[in-house]
Amino acid sequence: MEDNGGEDPVNNNNNTTVSSEGSIIKVTVKTPKDKEEIAISEDASVTQFKEEISRRFKAKQDQLVLIFAGKILKDGDSLNQHGIKDGLTVHLVIKTAHKAGDGASSSTSCTSQVGSSSGSSSGPSSAAHSSSVGSTGGPVSAPPQTPNILTGFGDLSSLSSMGMGSANFMELQQQMQSQLMSNPEMLSQIMENPLVQNMMSNPDLMRQMIVANPQMQQLMERNPEISHMLNNPELMRQTMELARNPAMMQEMMRNQDRALSNLESIPGGYNALRRMYTDIQEPMFSAARDQFGNNPFSALGGNSDGGVQPSRTENREPLPNPWGPPSSTDPSEGGGGTGTTGSSTAGSTNPSVSNPLAVNSASLGNGMFSSPGMQSLMQQISENPQLMQNMLSAPYMRSMMQSLAQNPDMASQNPASSPSTGTNPAQQLMMQQMLQMFAGGNASSQTPEVQFQQQLEQLGAMGFINREANLQALIATGGDVNAAIERLLGSQPS
Amino acid sequence: MAGVKVPRNFRLLEELEEGQKGVGDGTVSWGLEDDEDMTLTRWRGMIIGPPRTIYENRMYSLKVECGPRYPEAPPFVRFVTKINLNGVHNSNGVVDTRAVSALAKWQNSYSIRVVLQELRRLMMCKENMKLPQPPEGQIYTN
Repeated sequence: MEDNGGEDPVNNNNNTTVSSEGSIIKVTVKTPKDKEEIAISEDASVTQFKEEISRRFKAKQDQLVLIFAGKILKDGDSLNQHGIKDGLTVHLVIKTAHKAGDGASSSTSCTSQVGSSSGSSSGPSSAAHSSSVGSTGGPVSAPPQTPNILTGFGDLSSLSSMGMGSANFMELQQQMQSQLMSNPEMLSQIMENPLVQNMMSNPDLMRQMIVANPQMQQLMERNPEISHMLNNPELMRQTMELARNPAMMQEMMRNQDRALSNLESIPGGYNALRRMYTDIQEPMFSAARDQFGNNPFSALGGNSDGGVQPSRTENREPLPNPWGPPSSTDPSEGGGGTGTTGSSTAGSTNPSVSNPLAVNSASLGNGMFSSPGMQSLMQQISENPQLMQNMLSAPYMRSMMQSLAQNPDMASQNPASSPSTGTNPAQQLMMQQMLQMFAGGNASSQTPEVQFQQQLEQLGAMGFINREANLQALIATGGDVNAAIERLLGSQPS
Repeated sequence: MAGVKVPRNFRLLEELEEGQKGVGDGTVSWGLEDDEDMTLTRWRGMIIGPPRTIYENRMYSLKVECGPRYPEAPPFVRFVTKINLNGVHNSNGVVDTRAVSALAKWQNSYSIRVVLQELRRLMMCKENMKLPQPPEGQIYTN
């Protein structure tokens, strides 16, 4: 094989320097971290080369291993023998105790990286403090419970140690959650993490974590069915299986949706659904939207009627985060016959049992606002600075506000749907309590009438004589007079 | 330039040059086994064991054979240095084509470097990174 464009390194001698015996050639010596150009005589032996290298790289000669063109250069060889010529590169590995010269490739595409680093972090015991695991690594318990699920993901343990127990903590959680949501790969990586899987396959542990959430405890008191479900290991196992396997989960949800739509068509089924929703889902709904984190069992089908079995299983839809960016779950097939929330019509999804927060991937942000409760909440917090601060502790809120601002239609539709809210005092009460929790955690023990005495008087003075409607409006807006007025005006034909 | 079939020898010469110039991240190396080999068939490769694995600090020598149909057909790869790795025959170091995705789904744009790098990546996988290894320096004799 003769000259090939003058660059045939196999046989040809391209001497750029003085062509004499023992001319100096410049050889690049490359370690994974470093690169040096070394001038050496072309007749030199490998040993001499190594001498030079050890000087330049400050390493002992016997620590050096030279590789050229896939072959290790032995001390007895000469450079010529291996065909090392001017301008070529020789690889160097410095054998130190702690891997100085080694392949510093961080491009580990395997999940091994996640696995190995999380193995070194705090184990499941710390995760036991966190309450909701079903949301894979999603936001967890109230800030007071400091060690949280983030510590279970080794790479993120540093995150968990920052800003714990404060508003920042929530921020981090939410950020992580949104990252997770937007990156299904990362999600599946985390899911594949053996630590997570171990945790999830331990029903007792899961139950403990879930029960530890005060929200859940309240719920459980109110609805014994939930506790029943929690205590049923079979169900737990199935649920966790679901949580572990997002594909299966989607499948499950699709089935649920379909089942629900079937249920709706059964005579009397609609009412059953509705009852189911108001009794069980609403509290879960509001619990899930609580500031302190997401409840994994955000939708429960405690179906006492109609005998539809899929709805009995917990919906562990990952991250039903009302504040978050779109999740990758499939949209409910309009099957949820739970029109009681009075979700506005255009472009939003009715919350269904399996899709409680109206996660419509087409218009996610909007879907969140389809509930009039939400709307009043927004108004409420804009009045109350403390609430505002709490809510805005997470940056995503801003983006949500933006999307709301961009969609004034949605906003205007909400008051129009208030009549339905008016028919559901339970829901309003929930909303009210939730708001109060936001504002500092005092649950009101007075009746709304007493509580809103002052506001009622105001409304009366302004000319709203329908005390009943006033009261409803005030409950819905949590005592916000202005919002209540708008509500009242919106529901009256003008 | 899609669809142009580069003649085998051109390709191999290019790869030879890259091997000598140290193209890549420096964790693998390759070159002709015998500089006089006009057919550019027999190659030698070297993989530096990745850090934080059991292969760390070790250098693995390989033989790569690029047949007449290369690069349309994948090369034959076998380890010279003894190694315990999934996809490598314990007795003779031959790499199972089906175990390495670069070989199983070979494309003619792949190269020796790609194969070596893939093998290195395999060393970093969970299932491989902790496999007990034979003492350093042993080679397959057949």
